Amino acid sequence: MKYFRFIWKNVFRKKSRAFLTMASIVLVLVLIVVLSSLLEALDYDTGRTKGAANVVVQHATGLGNFMPLAYRQKIEQIPGVVAVAPQIWFGGIYIDEKPQNFFGQLSTDPQVWAVVHDDYTIPPDQLKTWQSERDSFVAGKQLIDRFHWTIGQRIQVRGTYIPGTIDLVLRGVYTGPDESNIFFHNKYLENSFLGRLERTGIFYLRTEAPEKVPGVCDAINKMFENSDAPVKAMPEKQFMLQFTEMMGDVKLLFRSIALTVLFTVVLIVANTMAMSARERVTQIAVIRALGFRRSHVLMLVLSEAIVLALLGGVAGALGSFPFMWGLIGIIKHTPVAMFAYNLKISLATLLTAFTAAVGIGVLAGFVPAIRSSRISIVDGLRRVA
Amino acid sequence: MADSLICIEHVSKAYRRDSLQIPVLADIDLTIDTGEFIALMGPSGSGKTTLLNLLAGIDTPTKGRITIDRRVISSMRETELARWRADHIGFIFQLYNLIPVLTAFENVELPLLLTRLSRQERQVHVRTALAIVGLSDRADHYPRQLSGGQEQRVAIARAIVADPVILVADEPTGDLDARSAGEILDLLNRLNTEHHKTIVMVTHDPRAAARAHRMLHLDKGVLSVEEPAAALDRSRDGR
Repeated sequence: MKYFRFIWKNVFRKKSRAFLTMASIVLVLVLIVVLSSLLEALDYDTGRTKGAANVVVQHATGLGNFMPLAYRQKIEQIPGVVAVAPQIWFGGIYIDEKPQNFFGQLSTDPQVWAVVHDDYTIPPDQLKTWQSERDSFVAGKQLIDRFHWTIGQRIQVRGTYIPGTIDLVLRGVYTGPDESNIFFHNKYLENSFLGRLERTGIFYLRTEAPEKVPGVCDAINKMFENSDAPVKAMPEKQFMLQFTEMMGDVKLLFRSIALTVLFTVVLIVANTMAMSARERVTQIAVIRALGFRRSHVLMLVLSEAIVLALLGGVAGALGSFPFMWGLIGIIKHTPVAMFAYNLKISLATLLTAFTAAVGIGVLAGFVPAIRSSRISIVDGLRRVA
Repeated sequence: MADSLICIEHVSKAYRRDSLQIPVLADIDLTIDTGEFIALMGPSGSGKTTLLNLLAGIDTPTKGRITIDRRVISSMRETELARWRADHIGFIFQLYNLIPVLTAFENVELPLLLTRLSRQERQVHVRTALAIVGLSDRADHYPRQLSGGQEQRVAIARAIVADPVILVADEPTGDLDARSAGEILDLLNRLNTEHHKTIVMVTHDPRAAARAHRMLHLDKGVLSVEEPAAALDRSRDGR
């Protein structure tokens, strides 16, 4: 501890260089914290939420193919199933095709909607009104805030792969883990070709308990495996992960980016430390002449690198909070909004960031520290003499 | 010889440059008693600084033996030598070599960081050393805020703060004007007479050498002349 002031003052010997190096560490730490948090959000265990008992059934070949609506009654007979809601992704255009106007539009059965979405909350009178009006819809609170909709307001959404425009009136506002969608009546689409074909995109169902999910999934998959439209039943979390997997191996990509920037910043800090050590050959020779041992010099130079990296680490960890809040705000307006609710900076992530900071310091400081400790006193003093 | 503080016996030193062996000191014999003030003179490249480095324990001889205060330092291992330097030697350099990011107080405190003294005890030692060199009021000043003479006095305070037996000074007045040089030499004299420090000083300046008890001449690595400093003084004055 008695050496700390000496270490601290040497860290800031060249202030602008120290701050620029720290800034590079801050950026890397922010990136590591954000990427780690995103990975955690993707791995988020829905077993901790009410949605853990939910199952999604889709056509075995993918979401592009639809399933007979008649499957609903058969699925409802499977032991452990509480309620089944057929849902169709409408995928229409609201106002224009700008990304900020995009949101999820799903047709469903309002009579069971509240049962299958037991992690959503909606005032009972609003639910009742929605259930009774065929051209009504409910929207997530976040969408209401985004578009400043009011109860009773009408919106028109132009179909893309489903022809026609839906004209709906807002009757309810729900809150829950994903507030980026609207839900309207399946009956509204009865006159479309999908309605006439009596087919649906997915079945969204709730089981009695999370433990029932694997058994129910197996039963559903077996029930339709030899039919014309085989299905794939899966827990809700797995269903959501399909969308991120569509972007490729996101986790591998995130980890590769993190490791690359980590390696880059190690080189930057190592270069800074090497420059700093080279400039102080005489100073090191002087303190060695005063009686400091090689191990002292090694410890001092290495400590400087670690202090620099830790300062960057602390600033980076603190800076990642506002960055993360901004990111959550953005994700809430995207189709993967439900991840935003799982997105947070955990203690484990902060510890990872600090470990990375210490790692940067040790790796970057090691070689300059070794070299400094090997400086010959006579040669170092001769540089001035 | 056994009672001498510094005893250099048949010491030679040669440096290697690639495949070349460059002899610097040849078969040096020298004894220095406790409390002596020695001036080491000679032309550039004569080996003065090398001899100073050897007896200060920052370099090792190619041949021969160096005994200081009854301990053979020429055969000590590096770590042992570092500990020994911290306890026995105070360094004064031509260009002061203060650490620019540290205040005068912190610079003087540096050697004490190697001791087991508490913070309060270190403060007492540092304030005493700064008082001896007359810079108590400059404790919080950085080297860049001090004149050359003041910087050298801080360096002297750093050299004496751990109360070493020997002070080695490599051209301590070489970078100073005449007045500051005089002040530094006065201070060295006082450390020698009042604080009983044994001083070995390399210098090119005959006036500085005249302050010493003994003046040694080195030429081409050979300690060839040894005469009292007063003789030089007389010869300069033409007496």
